[in-house]
Amino acid sequence: METRPFQALQLQARRTYVALMFQVMGRALQAMTEVDGDVCRDTRELPPGFLFEMRVLPSGPGLIMEHTDHGHLRFLGKSAPRPINLSIQFKHMVHAFRVVSFQEKTAVAFANERMLVDGDIGYAVRMTRVLNRLETFILPEFLAARAVKQYPADLRLAEKVQSAARIYLRVVTNFFAKASPQ
Amino acid sequence: MSSQFYEFFCPVKVISGKAALEHLPWELQGLSATSPMIITDKGVHEAGLLEPVLAACRESEVEIAAIFDQVPPDSSTSVVRDITRLYREENCNAIIAVGGGSVIDTGKAVNILVSEGGDEIAQYSGAGVLKHPLRPFFVIPTTAGTGSEVTSVAVITDEKKGVKLPFTSSFLLPDAAIIDPRMTLTLPAHITAATAMDALTHATEAFTGLAKNPLSDAYATAAIRKIGQWLLPVMDHPKNEDGRLELAQASTMAGIAFSNSMVGLVHSLGHATGAVCHLPHGLCMSIYLPYVLEYNLESIREPLGELLLHLEGADIYAGTPQERRAEACIAAIRTLRDELHQRCQLPRTLKEAGKVQESHLETIARLAMDDGSILFNPREVTLEEARAVLRRAWA
Repeated sequence: METRPFQALQLQARRTYVALMFQVMGRALQAMTEVDGDVCRDTRELPPGFLFEMRVLPSGPGLIMEHTDHGHLRFLGKSAPRPINLSIQFKHMVHAFRVVSFQEKTAVAFANERMLVDGDIGYAVRMTRVLNRLETFILPEFLAARAVKQYPADLRLAEKVQSAARIYLRVVTNFFAKASPQ
Repeated sequence: MSSQFYEFFCPVKVISGKAALEHLPWELQGLSATSPMIITDKGVHEAGLLEPVLAACRESEVEIAAIFDQVPPDSSTSVVRDITRLYREENCNAIIAVGGGSVIDTGKAVNILVSEGGDEIAQYSGAGVLKHPLRPFFVIPTTAGTGSEVTSVAVITDEKKGVKLPFTSSFLLPDAAIIDPRMTLTLPAHITAATAMDALTHATEAFTGLAKNPLSDAYATAAIRKIGQWLLPVMDHPKNEDGRLELAQASTMAGIAFSNSMVGLVHSLGHATGAVCHLPHGLCMSIYLPYVLEYNLESIREPLGELLLHLEGADIYAGTPQERRAEACIAAIRTLRDELHQRCQLPRTLKEAGKVQESHLETIARLAMDDGSILFNPREVTLEEARAVLRRAWA
């Protein structure tokens, strides 16, 4: 059946938004592991060279992270240099959109079986925790509360603003570093 | 708490009640299973529980092609390989698992290899690896707790790598589960108690968890009602066939509930404790349940309060102010544990369990943080909070 022009535009916009959010999340994850000790404690347990992927089935946007060492993650974009160790897959673009537009919490998306895990469950739990912490820090409280299971009551505004500023600064630096000619 | 979206799946034919075992030959015939193999463990065989199964088959002229009765409590890849070899040597074409969780999981794993081919079960580990229906598979549970007869998962230990391999696929579900009160009639008191508490935990976590849904709720509440009504009478009169059947059905119902709505922190801590201290799973569930409910209380107050009706009955529910019902439900579970401790010394704390040392708690907490079930706990658990729950459960 032919897709109507408006509908095609809507689908394309959704796809672009999800792809953009994966770009932001990938860079923010990298920055987060450079500035946050708690996240590093979780990621340090991953084997060096470990490849983590989030993607939309069957061939939608995705992000790939590599554990370089000492808990630091590096954003590799959408292509992997070797087989992926852990893949978290959204069954459909709409499911990914609901999560990255904060209409559905990551944990609820798992509970609703919108996401599949291919790989070690323990590592998937760790990476989910890391994603939750990232969302808690980089999103305003009203959005973060929609994205994570429980917004931490003990997170002080000063700590959040300081961490978010450091993460965003690194994300922006990273964007420009990638964009500027070599 | 209620989900706006859910999936629910349970295609297992449940054959339950008196003389249920005698339906087995008919069910085998219906799937052209002419040479079935029985997988069981030594305890089941020595307790004489195979006799009614064999007699039911004999009378209907069904010949059992092979019996493997050496499944250990923690089944392994080598056991699965040995059984697969026997299955092939004897040209079997169906599996009947007679036993508890380990036997049933082993049956599921053997069914993968005999259906898909090969000798390495590890290659089929993970979710969604299986793409085709497997050979005819029947389960006759001999405990009333695990609910494995209606779950689509199996866990097998890879003894070479020292890891537990999970297998998840709807194709692992048996064609039929046969619940016959004769199979649990001789269950010792402490196993009856621990396995019933396992079922109670399945139902409670299913009803209060993140993935609860209207259909799993119906199974969970029905299971809790049966356990509340029948556990203590069965402890007092172990040969009560009606009570045994009610508990066995409760276990199956709780299994259907949790396999469709998952479990939470009680299981995360229980899996970790089992791995570190080899404490039986049902016992872990019984120990941790009230402490985790207290920890989760403010996130589950409403559904937990509702469970009071199913656990304690209408009079107590109606006589308890709405704002106190959740606490009353936890108190009722504590009282139940005290009653079980009185009857069979079922431990209520980690210290009472004897096998756990205080120095183990840190390892248990860290391991629990990586357990898949923690994702579905209604509260986001931090390491410090997991430690605090463990300290409360210690003594």
